[in-house]
Amino acid sequence: MDLSLDESQRILQRSFSEFFARECPTELVRGSESTGFDETLWRRFCELGAAAMGLPQAYGGLDMGLFDLGLVAAQIGQSLAPLPFADVASAGRLLATLPDVDEALMTSIAEGTGLISLCDRSQELPGGNKVCLPNGAIVAKVITMQGEDLLLWDLEPQHATVANMGSGALAIHDLSLAVPRRLASGPQARMQFEHALAEWKLLVAAMQTGLAKKALEIGADYARTRIQFDVPIASFQAIAHPLAEAAAQVDGAELLWQQAAWSRANSAKRFLELASMALAFCSQVARHTSDVALHTHGGYGFTTEYDIQLFYRRSGAWSCYFGGVSNAYCEVARQRRANAMAGK
Amino acid sequence: MDFRLGEAAERVRTEIRQFLEQEFSQTHRQQERDTGDGHNWSLYRKLADQGWVSAAWPKEFGGGGRDPYEMLALYWELSKAGFPWFGLLNNSFIGHTLMAMGSEQQKAELVPKIASGDIMVALGYTEPSSGSDVAAARTSARREQDHWVIEGQKMFTTTGHMAQYIFTLVRTDAKASKHRGLTMFLIPTDAPGVEIYPVHTMGGERTNSVFFGGVKIEDAQRVGEVNEGWAVVRFALGLEQAMGYADRQEALLEKAEQWALASTDNNSITTPDPRMEQQLGRMAANAEVARLLRYRSTWMQAEGMAQQTEGTMTKAFSAKVFLQDAQDWMDLMGPLALLEHGTENALSEGAFAEAYRATPVATIYGGTLEILYSLIGQMALKFPRNR
Repeated sequence: MDLSLDESQRILQRSFSEFFARECPTELVRGSESTGFDETLWRRFCELGAAAMGLPQAYGGLDMGLFDLGLVAAQIGQSLAPLPFADVASAGRLLATLPDVDEALMTSIAEGTGLISLCDRSQELPGGNKVCLPNGAIVAKVITMQGEDLLLWDLEPQHATVANMGSGALAIHDLSLAVPRRLASGPQARMQFEHALAEWKLLVAAMQTGLAKKALEIGADYARTRIQFDVPIASFQAIAHPLAEAAAQVDGAELLWQQAAWSRANSAKRFLELASMALAFCSQVARHTSDVALHTHGGYGFTTEYDIQLFYRRSGAWSCYFGGVSNAYCEVARQRRANAMAGK
Repeated sequence: MDFRLGEAAERVRTEIRQFLEQEFSQTHRQQERDTGDGHNWSLYRKLADQGWVSAAWPKEFGGGGRDPYEMLALYWELSKAGFPWFGLLNNSFIGHTLMAMGSEQQKAELVPKIASGDIMVALGYTEPSSGSDVAAARTSARREQDHWVIEGQKMFTTTGHMAQYIFTLVRTDAKASKHRGLTMFLIPTDAPGVEIYPVHTMGGERTNSVFFGGVKIEDAQRVGEVNEGWAVVRFALGLEQAMGYADRQEALLEKAEQWALASTDNNSITTPDPRMEQQLGRMAANAEVARLLRYRSTWMQAEGMAQQTEGTMTKAFSAKVFLQDAQDWMDLMGPLALLEHGTENALSEGAFAEAYRATPVATIYGGTLEILYSLIGQMALKFPRNR
């Protein structure tokens, strides 16, 4: 057993932590509240090779594994950086596994100019061809699975985001206006798509864990410094204990997404189950921790001036991306059951 | 990164599963259900014969030198199977403590008997008026010529009625500050003046209340120096990795999953009741996280890394979700789940009712949730000390 990061992972984590501390202060997050995206930040992020990280070298990628992408996603969550990293990384990695892939498209993704996303069933709106994509306002293409076909769609460029709780680049697209290109078909294509979705979920789980860590830090800092009844409020159990409980949950969330990412290469049978589990649990923990941290602030936490509300809203929004926490727990049960039946 | 326990631990797992398969019979299970002893002499001696009581002791102490991963596998399998393992667990810690802090005579005479399973020692820390505040023990020892006279009472002395000795924390200096006036003794349970009364719990365990009425014991029964008992307790407690209940969570989850599978159509991966499906997913995640937290503290122990609150977090997280999940699952099951083991129509042989009854104590013994949260707050979040 070894639960430590290796040297290159530590360097990766540190360099992105420093990058976001430098390039993504709260002012930038607040400045992008209406768009959910900061183009300059994305460009600088891609200059570090971030968009190429998870892609094969043949397409200008850096051939890094899902675990490493998770470390970057966690830093994004911690800083609330408005970047479509998880979406683009998981879609790009899916394309790279397909035959006859469009090399120009792959190169543009690796360079950070090609913005692409997957579409989960929970993002399809009922009764039509509309989809609601977390980064729909900035991605130019989307991959869907319809029946047995894996389809690539061109989206309307510069689609405006709609006002949304998490201040993301969320947008609704009408796919009936577009003509898709079929990328692949059949059970193999479906399996690849399911795995790509699971990677996306896992990266969101890592983001949620980073977010939860930071929210806990903000809440604990406030509890140590806020004086009421002549003492720091952290000396009251009613304040201290919910934060302590959250601290244990946050540690558990981190271990859970890391194990899920590790399982991709080392225990593949459980990967789908563990990715859904990480999404469910880490989202739940992020929501709960930012709620506890907000509450610790009393009335100030509810004001827009304090940062904790940024965390509270985003953890709630990111939890909704794939149909919600309860839905993800149901997925876990189904995948465990499918595994048990396959094992028989 | 590597999330596996490793080959040596997996070998232990296989070995213990085989042992349980062969030795832990339905009769033994029923016996434990009837008595709640938490210890079974014949099974205990068999485990001792194979070296499991002393498995974690260093080799230079005559122990098995098993690493923390192997010990995790041993405890995991015993606990998951519902094996009466308290004697084994406590004696592993007590034997190790005596090896490190006991007298030469204790090392030479007592420790080998513990290792061989000939004698068993119970823990006597808790008292009627000191639970979480363990250093506030009032049971006293006063010196009379060459011996000591013990007066007082211990509480929740699990396995005490089957033990030869009670590892007893006693006040020897009433004037010294709380932690400085304590001494540790091994009190023979057959000494005149020792009276042991059963205390039965909702979870089905039998524990004990032990009275010491003018019990005369030799100075040779003292462990460590006079008024240095707190150091002995701290050493013994330091050996206990806060394990949590991931193994038992996993057992409950498996029973729940088996029940759900048996009660639905073949070849469907969907549970008909989505509330049940959601709860199964939640229990799976909670068991997984409890396991990972425990793996983390085990890994740190194996690596010799200084732990801060990792064990505390393991116990706090696991206890809270284990209790919650046992309650939530019961809520989904309906009245048949109330039927106890051995009755007709009982669901999963009464396992859900048993879990509902057995889990509340998880948030109490070995450190209440409140004590654990205060520790996490102080150590991990740098909060001021709070009570």
